[in-house]
Amino acid sequence: MRSWRSRVPRSLAVAVALTAAVALPGCGSDSGGDGGGDSDEPIKVGALFSITGPPAVVGEKMRKGLDLAVEQINARGGVDGRKLEVVFYDPAGDTAKAVDQTRRLVSRDNVDVVVGGGSQSGIALAMKPILERDGTLFMATEGAREIVQPPDESELSFKATFNDTVVLDRTMTFWEARGVKKVGFLPDTSGFGESAKQVIADEGPKRGLTVDVESFDPTATSLTPQLTRLRGKDPDAYLAWTTTPAGVTFLKNAQQLGLDDKLIEHGFGFVDERYFEQAGRAGVGTILSSPKLPVYDELPDSDTQKKALTSFAGAYEKKYDEAPNVFAGEAYDGVELVAKAIEATGGDTDGKKLAEALEGLEPYTGVTGVFDFTPEDHSGLRADDVAMIEWDGKRFVLAQDAG
Amino acid sequence: MSDLLQIAFSGLTVGAAYALVALGFAIVFRGTRAINFAQGEYVMLAGVAAGALNEAAHPPLLVTVVAVILLGALAGVLTETVALRLIRRPDPATVTLATIGLAVTIKAAVLLITDRASYTLPGFSGDASLRIAGATLEAQTLWNCGLVAVAAGGLALFFSRTRIGVALRASADDAEMAASTGMSRRAATAWSFGLAGALAAAAGAGLAPVSPVNYDFGTLLGLKGFAAAMLGGLGSMSGAVLGGFALGLAEALFAGYVSSAYADVVAFAVLLLVLFLRPTGLFAQVRVERV
Repeated sequence: MRSWRSRVPRSLAVAVALTAAVALPGCGSDSGGDGGGDSDEPIKVGALFSITGPPAVVGEKMRKGLDLAVEQINARGGVDGRKLEVVFYDPAGDTAKAVDQTRRLVSRDNVDVVVGGGSQSGIALAMKPILERDGTLFMATEGAREIVQPPDESELSFKATFNDTVVLDRTMTFWEARGVKKVGFLPDTSGFGESAKQVIADEGPKRGLTVDVESFDPTATSLTPQLTRLRGKDPDAYLAWTTTPAGVTFLKNAQQLGLDDKLIEHGFGFVDERYFEQAGRAGVGTILSSPKLPVYDELPDSDTQKKALTSFAGAYEKKYDEAPNVFAGEAYDGVELVAKAIEATGGDTDGKKLAEALEGLEPYTGVTGVFDFTPEDHSGLRADDVAMIEWDGKRFVLAQDAG
Repeated sequence: MSDLLQIAFSGLTVGAAYALVALGFAIVFRGTRAINFAQGEYVMLAGVAAGALNEAAHPPLLVTVVAVILLGALAGVLTETVALRLIRRPDPATVTLATIGLAVTIKAAVLLITDRASYTLPGFSGDASLRIAGATLEAQTLWNCGLVAVAAGGLALFFSRTRIGVALRASADDAEMAASTGMSRRAATAWSFGLAGALAAAAGAGLAPVSPVNYDFGTLLGLKGFAAAMLGGLGSMSGAVLGGFALGLAEALFAGYVSSAYADVVAFAVLLLVLFLRPTGLFAQVRVERV
């Protein structure tokens, strides 16, 4: 019998060398400009959303939100008498492709403004310097704080999304109301998780919180080791910070460990009904920070956003025959904000003037929140715009601060 | 103490899946001397298919599990067709490369078809669990260990008692000799890949209740299964099982007691250490070459 165990064959050497090389090819295609208006000189809005590739789920909704806003604005006569015309590209989650497309938008398509940063923070961050240099206003619909910070490098860059600082600020207020003193924090190791980890490490102690952190890889199949370790510190609340399915594992493992008597929480990246359906019983009672959209119909009539949310959700459902999500709302707000700014400048689309106009706008009540831009704050949303919600087993409902 | 036990249980749940994947690597390696890197993608494919089937039609769980195991076997046989039959000179290095290409293809196809959605199964015994010395042992952990036991036992019987199994073993040792007994080399490699696919699919079905499965789930899992197979001695059945559980436990202990963010490093550190220090694997004895 020949021994097949005692030697390392050549195939193995190849195998090991290639072990880490398995990557997904980018897929998708560019599509050209969208239909324009009838008036002589339409305002050209460049838009980059990944409607294929890894961020496709997000990009698809953003594009729908953008299309709805453009349709509505054009139906009411456009901006300053001019129609909006969209020049759309799909970077398919590929930053290099997005950089090329952004250059094309400013040099060949001569767009007036750009809305949407490719549906992925990394892409938006790569687009930002190109647009800043070109003098084109950039309204991102992605999350990373760095898109609008530091202010002196972000003069023309705005975003229609929350900073995680604001969301965590609201979460900590919630904890104060619920008497939470000790928190077990589980961020994933992506940029999304790392950023929140830093915020909570800086801000938590200032607000009298003891925070223990256990990070996890988004591909982890079990978070029991992390939860077991945290359990030893006996926190009052466990907060996971991820957008990935590993968040479902977090809920299941927490239930198995019998942590149900503590607050089990997720961040605003996990507001997805499908995830909670998958978690089943383990997801019931989970608290999340979230934009108000998922619970808009429950808001009191006194809520400043109620009207904007109801009208957006109604129009979206009518056009697409599905419920809108927060991503659609962000792109919708992005277009509306840009339109407001162009109206304020009287049709001048110079980047600097538009930026000044946005900073000078009266607070604008959008779908995601009440935007109040200042020269220092190009995100414009406040902790008041964040809702604390709870999964009741069937749907998201408003969570009460005093439980 | 109860913490240690709890962490060990979580290591067993995942380790069982590594063991099944490692068994697949072992069988294909024995049959072809190639490394089948599509192995992890079969796990993903089975997990996604199981979840989707369950969502669409709610068949009894046993039906779902059997269906995806058959699907895994089919994926294995198709891999063999592409990697061995369509390639003109299928030496082990080429076959290994072809399986990497197929792995990428499977992943991309599932991404496009499912639109990145993740899928899950209910636990084989619902949410049932046992309390042992202050720690919770999920029923699913026992199911997964049971799957490994059934697979290992079944394979042992298959290779020693069935005509095909014996011929397969003979073919791995000496293809020409085996061919003279009537078992074609091609049938042998097709069986190897098919079995490997079925084993990986069993792992996918066992993991879907533990953690949601999406298109991105298989790659890392496959590489960890490979590390487990190396740890146990590539080609060894018992080594694959031991390697799988050892790796699962090592990872869980590392996450629980050292660093939770970098638990994934364990598998690759193990892989490198094995390659540097003991390429035959920890559990394999170096056999004397008989002439």
